[in-house]
Amino acid sequence: MPLLQIKNLKKKFDKKNILKGVDLTINKGEVIVIIGPSGSGKTTLLKNINFLEQPTSGEMNFKGHLINLQKLNKQNELLLRRHTAMVFQNYSLFKNKTALENITEGLIYGKKMDKNKANQIALKELNAVNLSDKKDSYPAQLSGGQQQRIGIARATALDPDLILFDEPTSALDPELVGTVIDDIDNLANKGQTMIVVTHLMSFAKRIGTKILFFEDGQIKDSGTPDKIFNHPDNKRVEEFLSAIAQDK
Amino acid sequence: MNWGFMFKSFPKLLSVLPITLYLSIIGTLIGLILAILIAIGREKKIVILTPILNLFVSVMRGVPTIVQIYIVYYGLPRLIYALFEHGANSKAITLSSMTIGVVAFALNSSANLSEAIRAAYHSVDHSQYDAALSVGMTPYEAIKRIVLPQLIPNFIPNFTNVFLDIIKDTSLVYNIGIVEIMGKANIIASFAFNYLEAYLDALVIYLIVCFIFARILSWLENIIRRRVFA
Repeated sequence: MPLLQIKNLKKKFDKKNILKGVDLTINKGEVIVIIGPSGSGKTTLLKNINFLEQPTSGEMNFKGHLINLQKLNKQNELLLRRHTAMVFQNYSLFKNKTALENITEGLIYGKKMDKNKANQIALKELNAVNLSDKKDSYPAQLSGGQQQRIGIARATALDPDLILFDEPTSALDPELVGTVIDDIDNLANKGQTMIVVTHLMSFAKRIGTKILFFEDGQIKDSGTPDKIFNHPDNKRVEEFLSAIAQDK
Repeated sequence: MNWGFMFKSFPKLLSVLPITLYLSIIGTLIGLILAILIAIGREKKIVILTPILNLFVSVMRGVPTIVQIYIVYYGLPRLIYALFEHGANSKAITLSSMTIGVVAFALNSSANLSEAIRAAYHSVDHSQYDAALSVGMTPYEAIKRIVLPQLIPNFIPNFTNVFLDIIKDTSLVYNIGIVEIMGKANIIASFAFNYLEAYLDALVIYLIVCFIFARILSWLENIIRRRVFA
């Protein structure tokens, strides 16, 4: 059984159709990478998956729980959020919490863990991203790369079934991108199920088990990295990839 | 310039300072409670309530304070009378000028403070709230643990502005018979036409009071900001 199955997900905002019927299936251990032009609705799709934005209609099956997206309730919202985690484009570390507290907040309030156990896990996660010496630092005292790696540690500490990455490297200085990519790569190698939105095609190729080309609120093409990058079905994918190559 | 009169009058004006402080502090505190409710009502976008609250805020911000004080002074007793007209003690409704002053300043500050709360709320990046939800917090926990602590230090400077305005606006309630600093200055001055001296006394008192409160609130803001953001 797939971990997450979405059928005909639609999102309207002020009468404008942002998502126009998205079907998506992700199995345990898969890494789905979503590529596509800016403004196509990729971030909106991620936020509709963990209900940070409320879908207009559609169906979802998460670990066997059927959810009618038109009639979301608080239980559904908490179910998804307490089994998934998200890494944000602009890091979104809690500015009023230290690096350690940024990780423990979700464990204490989301996972209902006691403080000592949460601290132990948080220290282990900070160690995994080589930032244990920054445990008492506030986000404003950390570099962008360090903040994003703590953002990743915050997500993995929750031991989620699925992590959603929203352009995790696009706000970083070029020399900091590598370390963040390595952290995500390590997670993929450990079998972490992930959906990653990115503009880095080499990263998409390397990490993705499946690539989705997203444009105008719909999946226009999908397949293995080899298929999408070498012989896509949709002509727009070629145009998009060549435009990106020219930019470089 | 009669310096002797000025020095002699100063303690007399100071003796009514508690009235000014009572009106401004109690009025602002009640206004703050109302402002929180107004800000929540406006942010929640509730069908009929939100437009009414929007209208209330626009009216309060668009009308001079003295007009608001007169409207409350003449209107509130009539409104209460109309509401409880059929009650046993309907004829015995009297409201003290102090009560009316507090109500007027509470209403006045509630509109401005609700805007200050909304500004502080929007100054906190929405992704902070999203991130809190994404780690499994409930909306209440996200607001309480993440948004509110960041909002408060941003709110204090605007709160200070509103509060100092209210302290200064208490000088208007002399018009409804409350003898506060300005009222006392008028009375003292009128005996021998020492208006400048009496008003200079009032100036010194208002200046010192506002300066002290501005410093206290600025100190409070710094303490909270350091605690919240290290």
